[in-house]
Amino acid sequence: MHAHDGELSAAVARAQEGDEAAFAVAYRLVQPGLLGYLRGLVGDDAEDVASDAWLEIARDLGRFKGDGAGFRGWTATIARHRALDHLRRQKVRPRASALESDVLDLPGPNSTHDQALESISTESALELIGGLPRDQAEAVLLRVVVGLDGPAAARVLGKRPGAVRTAAYRGLKRLAQQLGGAGVTDDGPRTLGESK
Amino acid sequence: MGEQQNGGGTSGRRRAHPDGLVLGHVSGRASGPNVALDDAALEALLSAAVLRGHRADAEGEQRAVAAFRAARAAGAHRARTRRRDDWRPREPRRLALSVKTTLSLFVASLALGGVAVAAIGSSGTSDAPDGGDKVRPTPSAGASGRPAADPSAALPGATAGKPGHPSTAQDAEAKCRAYDQVEGSGKALDSTAWQRLVTLAGGEDKVAAYCAEQLARAAKTVPTKKADEGAATGNGQGPSGKNASGEGAGEGAGAGAGEGESAGEGAGKPDKAEKKD
Repeated sequence: MHAHDGELSAAVARAQEGDEAAFAVAYRLVQPGLLGYLRGLVGDDAEDVASDAWLEIARDLGRFKGDGAGFRGWTATIARHRALDHLRRQKVRPRASALESDVLDLPGPNSTHDQALESISTESALELIGGLPRDQAEAVLLRVVVGLDGPAAARVLGKRPGAVRTAAYRGLKRLAQQLGGAGVTDDGPRTLGESK
Repeated sequence: MGEQQNGGGTSGRRRAHPDGLVLGHVSGRASGPNVALDDAALEALLSAAVLRGHRADAEGEQRAVAAFRAARAAGAHRARTRRRDDWRPREPRRLALSVKTTLSLFVASLALGGVAVAAIGSSGTSDAPDGGDKVRPTPSAGASGRPAADPSAALPGATAGKPGHPSTAQDAEAKCRAYDQVEGSGKALDSTAWQRLVTLAGGEDKVAAYCAEQLARAAKTVPTKKADEGAATGNGQGPSGKNASGEGAGEGAGAGAGEGESAGEGAGKPDKAEKKD
């Protein structure tokens, strides 16, 4: 599933035996995806939320059972709970900015398709994903950014695997439309605004 | 891979969708014609875009490691695993699945078992007492309109409602035909079926004569073993065939008896017709 799962499995196992260097390795392997997921959930507060999540992860590491892939799911669950707490405190919707602003960030309509895809920035990607309905955005992030498989993502979200798979599919389809619509000029009436 | 798909319904789930056009565009560029790679290409793109912006934060890592040390010192790492902490491969799910599978297998076996028991019951009642009944083991006809050829009458009630089972007459015929072939060749005649045939014939030495009589009678009344209804009516015995279907429809023994009377001598046909029901 994920390129570093074997390495992560070993690091987690050693960390659970008390090896703090191994814990640092696990942190480095997991944090990028976790932070990307949290950015999609809470935007600019992602780093604070991630910090809270890691305190809990460090504290409860002994409780965890599983391999590297399981560790990604477990940590994503913890991070998600922290993010939802955060959002509850803030009383704001987890959705990122409106899609209209994304259009401005994307390459202009005259660029080619390839350029549109290659030049997409982290911010643009996250805002595009954040522009999806919440369930689709989370499903896409867990799958694409965190690197979870369908059942693991479903467990993180507390939903049935089929529902999560459908949400991820729809989200990716919508993103494909948006990315494609941004770069292809002769693509008929479809535009970013409509595909939203 | 500069080629672009037009996505016009080449294959796969995506293509079935009108939006497949754009997606095909995206993926065609990134990953060739394989639809399965559409998602992969897009996912790789998004993943790379999101993760590219990540910068290592030594501070966050140090905080996390410090928390790890503190928890280790406090003995927090010996805490009990809760259900939500167990991310080992999905044993519970597999177990649930297997329980479901087991249950459905069990139900299926019950159903099949019921069919088997019913079949046993029907063969037991129609085989044994129907001894020399060559032509019609049907209960209602046996009760009343039975021709003289049926000395050992079947029990009307016992065999009621079991159409579809081969008549004893056919059994006898079949055994007789087989008997011709296996006679004198080893232990085949020791089997229960042969013993029954011998009993029917009234002795081992009378089997040949019994069979000759059975086969002759069969040849007279039924042109072929596998006579269907068409053959039955073609034999000039239409009325009895109709009666037989009426009985086959599951009427009670009394009604069947009346019809049997009217059927008269066309005894062989109703049986065949009923079998087809």
